[in-house]
Amino acid sequence: MMRNVLLAAVASAAMMLPVVGQAAEKLVLYTSQPNQDAQTTVDAFKAAYPDIEVEWVRDGTTKLMAKLRAEIAAGDPRPDVLLIADTVTLEGMKGEGLLQAYKSPEASAYEAALYDADGYYYSTKLITTGIVYNTGVEKAPKSWKDLSDPAMKNQVVMPSPLYSGAALIHLSTLTENKELGWDYYQALAANEARAQGGNGGVFKAVASGEKPYGVVVDFLAIRGKAEGSPVDFVFPTEGVTYVTEPVAIMKDAKNVDAAHKFVDFVLSNKGQELVLDMGYVPARGDMALPEGFPARSDIKLMDFNPAVALEQAEANKKKFADIFGAE
Amino acid sequence: MQAASRLRGFMPGFASPTVGNRSSDRLLPWLLVPVFVISILPIARLAIEGVFVGGVPSTDYIRDVLGSSTTWRAAANSLYTAGLGTIISLLIGGAFAFLVALTDIRAKAVLVFCFMIPMMIPPQITALAWVQLTGPSSALLNALGMAPPMGSPQPFYSAEGIALLLGIQHASIVFLTLRANLRMLPREQIEAARLAGARGGRLWWQIILPLTSPGLIAGTAMAFVTALGNFGIPAMLGIPANYSTLPTLIYQKLAGFGPSVLGEVSVLAMLIGMIAILGVAVHHRLLGKRDYRLMGMVGRPLDIRLGARRTLVEAVLWAVLMAILVIPLMALVATALVPAFGVKLSLANYSFDAFYEVLFVQPSTIRAFHNSFMLSVGAAVTLVAICLPLAYVIVRRPTRLTHMVNLLVEVPYALPGVVLAIACILLFIRIPVIDVSLYGTLAIIFVAYLARFLVIALRPVMNSFSQLDPALEEAAQACGAGLGRRLRDILLPLAAPSAAAGALLVFLTAFNELTVSALLWSAGNETLGVLIFNLDDSGDTVLASAVAVLVVLVVIALMTGFQLASRRLPKGVVPWQT
Repeated sequence: MMRNVLLAAVASAAMMLPVVGQAAEKLVLYTSQPNQDAQTTVDAFKAAYPDIEVEWVRDGTTKLMAKLRAEIAAGDPRPDVLLIADTVTLEGMKGEGLLQAYKSPEASAYEAALYDADGYYYSTKLITTGIVYNTGVEKAPKSWKDLSDPAMKNQVVMPSPLYSGAALIHLSTLTENKELGWDYYQALAANEARAQGGNGGVFKAVASGEKPYGVVVDFLAIRGKAEGSPVDFVFPTEGVTYVTEPVAIMKDAKNVDAAHKFVDFVLSNKGQELVLDMGYVPARGDMALPEGFPARSDIKLMDFNPAVALEQAEANKKKFADIFGAE
Repeated sequence: MQAASRLRGFMPGFASPTVGNRSSDRLLPWLLVPVFVISILPIARLAIEGVFVGGVPSTDYIRDVLGSSTTWRAAANSLYTAGLGTIISLLIGGAFAFLVALTDIRAKAVLVFCFMIPMMIPPQITALAWVQLTGPSSALLNALGMAPPMGSPQPFYSAEGIALLLGIQHASIVFLTLRANLRMLPREQIEAARLAGARGGRLWWQIILPLTSPGLIAGTAMAFVTALGNFGIPAMLGIPANYSTLPTLIYQKLAGFGPSVLGEVSVLAMLIGMIAILGVAVHHRLLGKRDYRLMGMVGRPLDIRLGARRTLVEAVLWAVLMAILVIPLMALVATALVPAFGVKLSLANYSFDAFYEVLFVQPSTIRAFHNSFMLSVGAAVTLVAICLPLAYVIVRRPTRLTHMVNLLVEVPYALPGVVLAIACILLFIRIPVIDVSLYGTLAIIFVAYLARFLVIALRPVMNSFSQLDPALEEAAQACGAGLGRRLRDILLPLAAPSAAAGALLVFLTAFNELTVSALLWSAGNETLGVLIFNLDDSGDTVLASAVAVLVVLVVIALMTGFQLASRRLPKGVVPWQT
């Protein structure tokens, strides 16, 4: 019997030997882009820099951050570069001293609101949050306020800021807005709007008709519509809220030079072409927009300040939980 | 001395050793070393995060978390859903096990085979299937003209909805543990009772239930612990209803990702672990008061004739099976076949594009099948090798140490997968002294699987050791057989069927494990669970369903293989075989 145990131990030890990759230059990327998009980005970067080997991990922002937190707690954070959902997360990491600054020469083509003035992070795309509705309904909503119309009582679903980073930014943006503010959220709660997990769940609820109106990120709805799902997307009259999938370099990055190249690449014309091809709105001001979107000038972005959002995050979540009776 | 030991009976944790000699006993504690490394160290490492704030020992996290009403509400919700779910599992799984094992119903093999499948469908998908089935776009309800209007409330978004699906998901666990036990029920004893005049209810309450109580109790404990740590079902059904359980509360904390997140998660994890240990301790207490040992394998299993009621019983069993197997499976296949999510499936618009995409366009599917297969076979084989001697030590050499180990192995199984994964990252990212990192390789997933599924492999073997009469061993020892000889010639052959059943259970559970590998994977190391989760997470629900359908098909094919091979295997090895 002992021999069996020993054999098993040796076998498992053999499986444990780490695989060591040998390349001239290496880059470790953590990204929350969907699988295919992440693959496309990495492939294009490798085509531009064949000498750099890219190791990448794709996961939802939440799980990626949990993983990164564990790595930091164990004293060995792995990624050189982060390309994740929102600036509030990166603003927090900047405050904790986990990032390093880099002044990218590409920044000049971007609006000042889309990157950190000290160079700690740069936005790469605009993912706006608007209204999705099932085409089976009689009346299409036009504005955020429509969702608090008693005619839509118990018909609205939205991602919960307690679970989704993008939804927290949405909450922060709308509550800072003078016309909407917390009164709007009170009205939504009175209208029995449901706040559930993430954007994927909202899209499913609306596409399946379980709740005909929803608050959701643009590409899910616009892509779903193109594929034939019975949904349509509305850019509300008050404007849309947005996250920007920023890129940032870790303080403890082991491959700083490759990291600089990666940041420049995703911000360059070529990198932004990829964003466009994937069906997102590029952050760079001089680019076209993907099919299904209105002209850039017709998309009204609501005012948003990551530093304020970060400062208010805990209070906002608590207040939201109180109003919606959530835990 | 032998007579005395038999009179004293078997009381885990209290009885003194009955057989064995000193030289071999000195080796026994070494068996605890691998268990300690794979299952207790990662949890201990995580616990440290909860009691240090900024490198200084502190009770801040503990105070914050335990002082929050949210924590206690989530804990109460966890207890309620897991408890109610366990009762449902017990009713469904218990009824199936008793009827299939003890009565003369027909087509047992097919019935049992089908009963095993719901366990193989990932919980998230089961939940999605039920919500779709009962929602406004339900293909089935629409065809019947009974679909609810758009926006009508969904009954499954409730505590009872969660409990019902947890109950269905884990019914097979109760079934399997109980059945291993029923298999050993001697017909002679029942016949003797009948001759003595026992009938119907009395036969059940005084003979059958007491004799099968170890399996019943073990199955209940396992179903409860599994339900306690389940994340997929409360996430799909609870979050929309603002109903948090401890695992979803942890997820919510992780979504907040402040610097304190690991500390708070660690405290919440300890809370789940403690509830699990408490539950198991209660069960061990109950188990410890019993001593129903049986002598080896039985020649003829019990065979109760149902007579005229047989057809009715069969009809009910098949109806339950339709509800718990066919419905989620149908929904899964339907979602994989629609051209886009939300489109109603019809004969005119079905499409196999999703299958083509995952099989031939994206190389990750094949890679994931390969990885999951290697990991689950490796885990099953390794765990059996660890569990056979370990179970022997725990059952036959009860000390305070083995008793503690026996309780602690439950913890990695009860924690939500994502928490166990964090614990493994903390411990294995850089192993001290030898300075090797398992992180970023398949090995870290492998070790995490060993930790998580240890208890699944361990319980059936322990169960069968505790049912064996030590008299067999005592006789061998009297003839001069040492520990090794006794293990090889007496204990292993008798425990082999339950060990094999445990291994198979580990294999099937690990094959589409979802949440542990979700944090531990890295490029090229994806498992099937990771693939399904990531596809669904990034909005490709149709592709995710296609992969899930493929997984279920492969599992059914493998089970069919075991079924066909079962004629040549010893009785009891294939857990669902009649």
